[in-house]
Amino acid sequence: MRPAILAILIGLLAAVAPVAGGATQRASVSVVADLIERAAPGDEIRVPPGVYEGNLVISKPIVLDGNGAAVFDGLGKATVIEVIADGVTIRGCTIRGSGEDVTGEPSAIRVTAANATIDSNTIEDALFGIDLQEAPNAVIRNNTITSKDLDAGRRGDGIRLWWSHGCTVEGNTIRGSRDMVFWYSEDLRITRNTVADSRYGLHFMYSHNTVLEGNDLYDNSVGIYLMYSNGITLRGNRMRNNRGASGYGIGLKDCDDITITGNALLANRVGVYLDNSPSSIGSTGLFESNMIAFNEVGLLATPNTHDNVFTRNAFIENEQPAATHGRGRLVSNTFARDGAGNYWSDYAGFDLDGDGFGDVAYEPRSLFGAMLANEPNLRLFVHSPAQQAIEFTARALPELRPEPTLVDSSPLALPPTIELAIVDSGIGGARMGVLAVALLSAAFGLVAAMGSDRRLTAQHTGGGA
Amino acid sequence: MTTLAATAELNSIESSALARSFTGGMISFARREFRDAIASKWFVLYTLAFTVLAVGVSFLSLSGVGSQGFAGFGRTAAGLLNLIMLVVPLMALTAGAGSIAGERERGTLLYLLAQPVSRTQVLLGKYLGLAGTLVCSLCIGFGVSAGVLAWKAGGVGVGAYAMLVAFTVLLALAMLSVGMLISVVSRKTTVATGLALFIWLSLVFVSDLGLMASSILFKLRVQEVFGLALLNPLQAFKMAVIVNMNASLDVLGPVGAYASLTFGGSLAWILASTLVLWMVVPLGLATLLFARRGTV
Repeated sequence: MRPAILAILIGLLAAVAPVAGGATQRASVSVVADLIERAAPGDEIRVPPGVYEGNLVISKPIVLDGNGAAVFDGLGKATVIEVIADGVTIRGCTIRGSGEDVTGEPSAIRVTAANATIDSNTIEDALFGIDLQEAPNAVIRNNTITSKDLDAGRRGDGIRLWWSHGCTVEGNTIRGSRDMVFWYSEDLRITRNTVADSRYGLHFMYSHNTVLEGNDLYDNSVGIYLMYSNGITLRGNRMRNNRGASGYGIGLKDCDDITITGNALLANRVGVYLDNSPSSIGSTGLFESNMIAFNEVGLLATPNTHDNVFTRNAFIENEQPAATHGRGRLVSNTFARDGAGNYWSDYAGFDLDGDGFGDVAYEPRSLFGAMLANEPNLRLFVHSPAQQAIEFTARALPELRPEPTLVDSSPLALPPTIELAIVDSGIGGARMGVLAVALLSAAFGLVAAMGSDRRLTAQHTGGGA
Repeated sequence: MTTLAATAELNSIESSALARSFTGGMISFARREFRDAIASKWFVLYTLAFTVLAVGVSFLSLSGVGSQGFAGFGRTAAGLLNLIMLVVPLMALTAGAGSIAGERERGTLLYLLAQPVSRTQVLLGKYLGLAGTLVCSLCIGFGVSAGVLAWKAGGVGVGAYAMLVAFTVLLALAMLSVGMLISVVSRKTTVATGLALFIWLSLVFVSDLGLMASSILFKLRVQEVFGLALLNPLQAFKMAVIVNMNASLDVLGPVGAYASLTFGGSLAWILASTLVLWMVVPLGLATLLFARRGTV
C-alpha cells in the first residue's frame, strides 16, 4: 500500500519536474548537442540546469557553461564528454558516470585538441577524470575530481596528460583516485593542487622542464614520483603522511638536474627516495631549505646514488635521518655547500664559537641502522628500549661502530625557518585540550573517590544504618 | 605512621557491615591501599618522573618545525612509546612486588588476614587499590603531555592518543598482576623487588635482544619472529599502539607486514587479548597461591 503511494508520488514529481524546470530535470544529452550544433564558433552556451544523460562530443570551439547546475551523466558507459575541437572551454559542470571497464580508458572529459580550458567542474564516479591526449596549451583549473569506488590500482588517473606540452594545471582537488600523471609533456605549470587518498599524488614519466609549486599531497601511497624526467623544479610543496606500499614523500628515479627547494616532507614512510638519481654524468640534484621531519626514514637512497647536494635542509625527528637501500653509504653526495650544511635534530655536537654551525662534523653511525640494512626483520624492534640499548652499546664500544652513513662537515646549529605558501586548514588544539583536561580530572576524580576519609566515613555510617 | 593509620582503619573495617559483602570488603582494602600509595614517596616520584619525561618527549620532538608541528604526532607517540615501555612496567612491577611482601615483612599481613575478610578479598582489594594509583599517575602524566601536544601540535590524533593511554593502562595492569604474583611468592621485600627488577630487565631488554640474536643466528622466518615477539607483553603493547595509529604494521618491516597481511583487522584484538591474558593469568595464579598457602 505505502510503496504504491510513494511510487505514484515519485511518478507525479517526475512528470511535474520538467515543467517546473527544477535541477532534477532529466534529458538526453542530445539537447546540449543541438545547442552546440546551432551555436557559432566562439559562442558561449549557458546550459540550463538539469541532468543530461548520454555521451557528448564537442567538435566546435565553444564555451560550455553549466553555471554549477548542469550535470552530464554518462550512465556508466564510455567517456562522458569528448573534446575534439581546439579552444573549447568547459566551465561549472558536474560530470559523472563514465564507464568502468578499463578498455578504452573511459573518462569524464577527454581532450584531443589544443587550447582547451577545463575550469571549476566537479567530476565524480568516473574511471579517469580529465584525460588530455596530444592536447597542448590546455588550462585545467579549480576542478574537483573523485574516481570510482575501486581498489587504488584499478582506478583511473584523476588527471592525465599525454604528450601535451605547455599546459597549466592549478588549484585542482583530487581525492580517491589513482595518479595525477604527466607523460611526455614539457613546460607545464603545476601549482596549488591537492591530491589525497590516491596512489601517486603527482607522477612524472619522461616529462621535462616543469615547475611544481605549492601543491599539497597527503594520505597517498607516494606524494611526488618523478621518473626519467629532467630539469624539474619542486618549490614549496607539502607532502605528508604518504605511507602506502612505497610511501615516499618525493621519489626520484633516473632524473637529472632536479631542484627541490622549500618543500615540507612530513610523516611519510620515507621523506626523499633517490633511485639512481641523477643518472647522467655531470648533472646534479639540489635539495635546499626543505623541512624533512617525522618520517620513518628521512632520506633513503640506492647505494649507487651520487652527486646530490643537500644544503640548509632541516632533518627533524626522523626515525632514521638517512639510510641506504641495502648496503652502502651516501658519501658520494655532498651535504654542505659554501660552508652551509643541514640541521640534524639528532646532532650531538656543539657550536662553541657561535657562528651558527656545529664545530664537529655530523657523522651518523647507527649500529641498529646498519643491522637493519642486513637483517630487515629486525625492524620489528624499532621504537623499543632494546634498540636504544644497541645504540648505547655501539657508543660505548667504538670497535662496534659502523662507518658513518654520510658526512656533513658544517651542520647547522639551529633549524632554519622554512615557510610554506600553503596555509594550514585551521587545525585547533581544542579537542586535544579537552582530552588533557579529561585525563587530569580523571586523576583527581580518582583521588577524590578513593582517597578521601570523608566519603569512607559516610559509607560507614550508611553501612551501619 | 602509615602502619598506625592502617591499623586504625582496619579496626573500622572490622566494625563495618560492608566487610561482610565480598566487593565491599575488597573496596575497603582498595581504598586503604590507594591512600597509602598516594601518600608514599614512590608514587610521587614515579608520577613526577613520568610526567616530566613525557612532557620532555612531546616538547622536544615538536621543536623547530614551526607550523608543521601538527604532522609530528606520530613521532611524538613513538618517543612516548619508548618511554612508556621503559618506565611503566618498572612502576607497576615494583608497586605490585612491594604490596603483599611488604605487609608480610612488616608483620601487618597477619593482622590483615585476621579481619573478617577472605584472602582473595585482601589480594584483589590490594590489586584494585594499586591499579587505581597507577591509573591516577598515568592520567596525570598523559594529561600534562596532552596539554603540550594541544599547544604545539593541535588536535591531530586525539583518538590515537586516547588509545595510547588506554593500552598503557592495560600494560600497567598486566605488569601489576605479574608484580602481585612475585609478591605472593616472595618472603621478603628485598627478594620481591629484586625479582621484579629481574623480570623488568628481561621483558624490556633481554627478551628483545635474545629474539634479535636468534632471528639472526637461526634465520627465523617472519611468522616465528612474530609469534615469539607476541609472547612479550611489551612487544604486544607496542604493536597494538602502532596498529592503532597506522592501521598497519608496515613500519615494523617484513614481520609487521606479515602480521598485517595475515591477521588484518583482527590484529588489534589479538594484541589486546595478549595483554588481557597477561593481566588475568598472573593475577589468577597469585590469588590461587595466596588463598592456598597457609603461610603468612
